[in-house]
Amino acid sequence: MARVRMTRNPLVAAAIVLTVAAAGAAGWGGVSRYQAAHDDSAAYAQVRDDALAAGEQAVQNMNTLDHEQLAKGLDSWEDSTTGDLHQQLVDGRDGFVKQIQEAKTVSTAKVLSGAVTELDDRAGKAGVMVALRVTVTAPKGKPAVKESRMLGQLTRTSDGWKLSALGQAPVGNTAG
Amino acid sequence: MSTTRHLVNRQRRLATVAAERTAAPTPVRKPVEPSTVAEESPDEPEQQEEEKEPPSGRPPRPRPRLRITLPAVLCALTVLLGAFAAWAFTSAATLNDDPGRQNTALTDIARTSEVKGQITEAVGAVFSYNYASPAKADAAVKKYLTGKAVQQHEDMLAEVRAQAPKQKLVLTTTVTESGVELLDGDRARLIIFADQSNTRTGKSEETTYAAAMFAVDAVRRGGAWRISAIDTFTR
Repeated sequence: MARVRMTRNPLVAAAIVLTVAAAGAAGWGGVSRYQAAHDDSAAYAQVRDDALAAGEQAVQNMNTLDHEQLAKGLDSWEDSTTGDLHQQLVDGRDGFVKQIQEAKTVSTAKVLSGAVTELDDRAGKAGVMVALRVTVTAPKGKPAVKESRMLGQLTRTSDGWKLSALGQAPVGNTAG
Repeated sequence: MSTTRHLVNRQRRLATVAAERTAAPTPVRKPVEPSTVAEESPDEPEQQEEEKEPPSGRPPRPRPRLRITLPAVLCALTVLLGAFAAWAFTSAATLNDDPGRQNTALTDIARTSEVKGQITEAVGAVFSYNYASPAKADAAVKKYLTGKAVQQHEDMLAEVRAQAPKQKLVLTTTVTESGVELLDGDRARLIIFADQSNTRTGKSEETTYAAAMFAVDAVRRGGAWRISAIDTFTR
């Protein structure tokens, strides 16, 4: 009997309706917040973006070298790579130092655009393509600007994504 | 231990029932141990405080407290739940609006390969030109280009079109690599690496090869992707 009287009070009735509505909204909001935070494709998208950022940076590093800061430049090459590519750079370092010291060139690179072409989240492998503009300045003559079509393979390491292979897209024999 | 108290309580209970029959809403009381607070009917926990007051002989009257306290509790609940709902929705929206999530390149496998396939075909068609069949090139432009790309393409191929009949020129473009940089619903941006072969069959046959790289914006209309802008990275 007491209950009946209470719900007849319009203020209480309105408050109950509001509370129920708020509970519904809270439940709905909680579910969508949970779904947003546990979205598989969002996690995959995050991995893709991480790989692309690391890949673009690594490709840029690999095309940047100042003969006056050779050690720093080559360290960054080695930092950006892993596996066979890394080993090649370490092995070839002395010869390369000599070469650049003679040529006295400064190379700078700018990433024009980049995309991940394949991504295996579990294996920790990714492929990237990067459109790059490289400017090489020699002691004599004008800086040479060229555009490079770079294809890279990335491998995930404990220290982030690193280049395990890098090369220019081949030209010529596919068309015609 | 409390036989007298038991009786007192019984009397009170009877009095309460009598009162309820007439007008006043009150809880039904049960016997209590002296030291504990009486159990109440579960609907009216607000009345617990009342229990500590010394029992009075007269039947309890309806208390105005009831009508204020329950709405107050409901209001507090509403505010708390409402605040949680607001936080949850805002937080979910922030997470979902993250540009990385909006971009479904590779995460949406079907769409990614659809746009890659169609744009590869489109690039091959609109950047190929045979002096013998200019109508085919015009048809490709209509089919695959839209918006700004129409004019950009016309400027890019103006020279080829002008010289084609005289030099018996055949331009063939083949996409060698493509990557989806951005995919958001019906919009996409792709990077294209392509090879171009340019064959002059006029006096003596001569073919030159060129490497091309550019990005295209694509839009999807009526189930088909079309190129809406071409970015050759020049500025």
